[in-house]
Amino acid sequence: MRRVALAVGLVALYALPLAGPSEYWMTIAATACAFAVLSQGLNLVYGYGGLMSLAQVTFWGLGGYTSALLAKDLGWNPWATLPVAGAVAALAGVGVGYASLRLSRHSFAIVSLVAALLVQLVARDWQGLTRGPLGIPGLPALRIGAVVFDSATRFYWPMLTFALVALAVMWRVMRSRIGLMLLAIRQNEPLAGSHGIDALAHRLLAIGLSAVLSGIAGGMFVFLLTIVDPSILDFYYTESMLIMVIIGGPGSFWGVTLAAVAFTVVPELLRLTSELRMVLYGVVLVGAMIGLPAGIGGLIARRREKQWRARLA
Amino acid sequence: MTAGYLLQLLANGLVIGAFYALLAMGLSLIFGVLEIVNFAHGEFYMLGAVGGLLLINRLHFDYWTTIASVTVMGACVGWLFHRVLLRGLAGRSFERSLLLTLGLGMVLQNGALYVFTATPQIVRTEFGVSSVLLGDVRFSVVRLLALAWAAVGFIGLYALLYRTRIGQAMRAVAENREAALIVGIRPERVARLAVVVGIALCGLSGAALAPVYVVTPTMGLIFAFKSFAIVVIGGFGSIGGAAITAIALGVIEALVGGTVSLVLADAVAFMAMIVVLLLRPLGLFGTGVRV
Amino acid sequence: MTLLRVERLGKAYLGVKAVDDVSFTVGPGEIAGLIGPNGSGKSTTIDCLSAFQRADAGRWHLGDVELTGRAPHAIARLGLTRTFQAIRCYETLSLVENLLCATEARRAVGWRDAFFATARLRAHDRSARARAAELLDLVGLARYADAPAGILSYGQRKLLALAGALMTEPKLILLDEPVAGVNPTMIRTIERAIARINAAGIALLIVEHNVEFIMALCSRVIVLDAGRLLAEGPPAIIREDPRVLEAYMGGAPEEAEAGLRA
Repeated sequence: MRRVALAVGLVALYALPLAGPSEYWMTIAATACAFAVLSQGLNLVYGYGGLMSLAQVTFWGLGGYTSALLAKDLGWNPWATLPVAGAVAALAGVGVGYASLRLSRHSFAIVSLVAALLVQLVARDWQGLTRGPLGIPGLPALRIGAVVFDSATRFYWPMLTFALVALAVMWRVMRSRIGLMLLAIRQNEPLAGSHGIDALAHRLLAIGLSAVLSGIAGGMFVFLLTIVDPSILDFYYTESMLIMVIIGGPGSFWGVTLAAVAFTVVPELLRLTSELRMVLYGVVLVGAMIGLPAGIGGLIARRREKQWRARLA
Repeated sequence: MTAGYLLQLLANGLVIGAFYALLAMGLSLIFGVLEIVNFAHGEFYMLGAVGGLLLINRLHFDYWTTIASVTVMGACVGWLFHRVLLRGLAGRSFERSLLLTLGLGMVLQNGALYVFTATPQIVRTEFGVSSVLLGDVRFSVVRLLALAWAAVGFIGLYALLYRTRIGQAMRAVAENREAALIVGIRPERVARLAVVVGIALCGLSGAALAPVYVVTPTMGLIFAFKSFAIVVIGGFGSIGGAAITAIALGVIEALVGGTVSLVLADAVAFMAMIVVLLLRPLGLFGTGVRV
Repeated sequence: MTLLRVERLGKAYLGVKAVDDVSFTVGPGEIAGLIGPNGSGKSTTIDCLSAFQRADAGRWHLGDVELTGRAPHAIARLGLTRTFQAIRCYETLSLVENLLCATEARRAVGWRDAFFATARLRAHDRSARARAAELLDLVGLARYADAPAGILSYGQRKLLALAGALMTEPKLILLDEPVAGVNPTMIRTIERAIARINAAGIALLIVEHNVEFIMALCSRVIVLDAGRLLAEGPPAIIREDPRVLEAYMGGAPEEAEAGLRA
């Protein structure tokens, strides 16, 4: 039954452009794919690994810049830049993670926040490398043979495919023993240590994996935008990811996926300006922290507990 | 590169450093007493600046009344902030307070962006652009007055923390929470005052610096990040450490900015933070008890 | 032939010596008790041995392997497991999953196996689940096997923690106050569980305030006072030792004696 639903869903997703939505809406659809990957990466690091990392946007941005520079300056084939984009992001993530995972939670959150800002400052000010605030325009589009993915409608298919693969990989990790260990680390780190679980290694794996996938997503996306500039590292992405994970429920794969789509599409439907969207996100975040701190996923977990208690009484 | 020029940089650095200090001390105080990192701290500073802008430009208040009013309003906002949002968070998970204050910051910053747009605005005080010459150094009047206000802030904070009962209680809680509770200090009263003072200092800083620089809704973000860096470098819970680090940072930034590059100046705080964390994770003056 | 050898362990906080030059041993298959009045450094000792706090001085070995300076998870993997005074469990994971986490100490499967669900992983999973079922049976929690650990009572969580420690296939378990805050019936249950664990050949070092519990179970008792080693020996000797009585009661020998005998 589940498999049928999944198959139908996949077909529907791929058939979406055929229903004739405008370029504008196809851009939204592609953006939703990107956010699904980014927020699931945060879910892996935070919802599973317990690390409040505010630097996930850095992986996406580093990936974007890496791809842009390789394609524009060195004339690489855009597809070939993607693995490098992922690798660069992963290296950054694991490197900074290794240095900062010994810190307290407060320090780690602050370091991740500041690191993200620092990278954006570098992107803006190191003109020699990144061309500064105006960015790197004139990027080529992705192509396979004669098919050029230069419109949002066409770009949607490779983006969707990548997003599905990325989500599948993360889903597999979450369901596997690795995911179990990460949850253990999140829920009770000292106990996990006494069980022989290497928290540092597992967390670095989560960071590295989310970084690779976010980096590739960023690398692909700049070939749709045909330009990369420091705004790709804006705090806006972090804020959006946070909302998606918190409301979807940290640790809940489907909750976060649905929240990612919802929070990308709904504000567009409501025609909110970006500032009002952020105000809305902020209000939702504050409200959630007061009333629903564990997100929708938390509600489900509590209900499960109640059911078991009733069953065993 | 004359001595006069360097002195000028030093003087400017001292002024900004003094306000970094007021902000960082407020942040440190709130963290020390409530164990909450206030991610909306920069936005309260921005609100202080916006308040100053509105009172002077739109309502034509004079400079002195404006600064005083904004500080008092900051205290009231702080009281509300604690009462409505922070009180229920005491002792809860760390992520909850992080996300709540972050969300609040988002609302404030983007709300201000929506209302005022990103265009930088200039506060037109009655002093205009007049300046005074002290030896070789030229101070704009508003900058000199800002320094004076910073001094007022420092003195007020010092008096509170070292000369009043409740101030001592705040220091006690910040340094050793369990011991303070055993001795019978009521945490909520102390917490409320810490937040009131911290936010009032944000308001004061915002209003005093608004005429010196320009006012934009995003001005809080970078100030906040630097405050975090300062608190991390100085050591969580060490209020004196935050002050020293802040002033040092202000001076170093000014010197680097004026002699090497402005761009590098902004990065100094963050690079220093990373270095300190690698070498001394508890901070330069960290008490080592609470991490 | 000793299993755990602790030499000159030391730990200080802000100038105060919580553990001061403490040395002792635990033999293979032995149940040893670690007692002492409040603040004597018992929990700090456990924390240092399991690397949950960094010792300032001293060395300790498990068999031939030196454990000094290693990370907590490394020590667990080498065969020294501990439980916690504040009961810990993975709240939303089922009891079986709680125990599966503890198999990491045996390092039988790597990430590649885990991700691709190889035959190796599946075999490991099967045997691990079987063993988990056995252990849950041992501690009487079998009917809650698939329930989230959050529903367990205080005493049941203590039993789960014990099962988790066993799951790591240790050579020696450090028990940190296993019966603190537990009702008398549960104390019996835990006592029996510990006896069965020991019968299987696992050594135990038990920290406890409940002196009669220690005297009943342990073949050897180590006494700390103000961070220093005070006395060491079989329960019968320790019970009569005037230094121990004085440490506990500050010099009222009759009452102390009565407390230690009860």
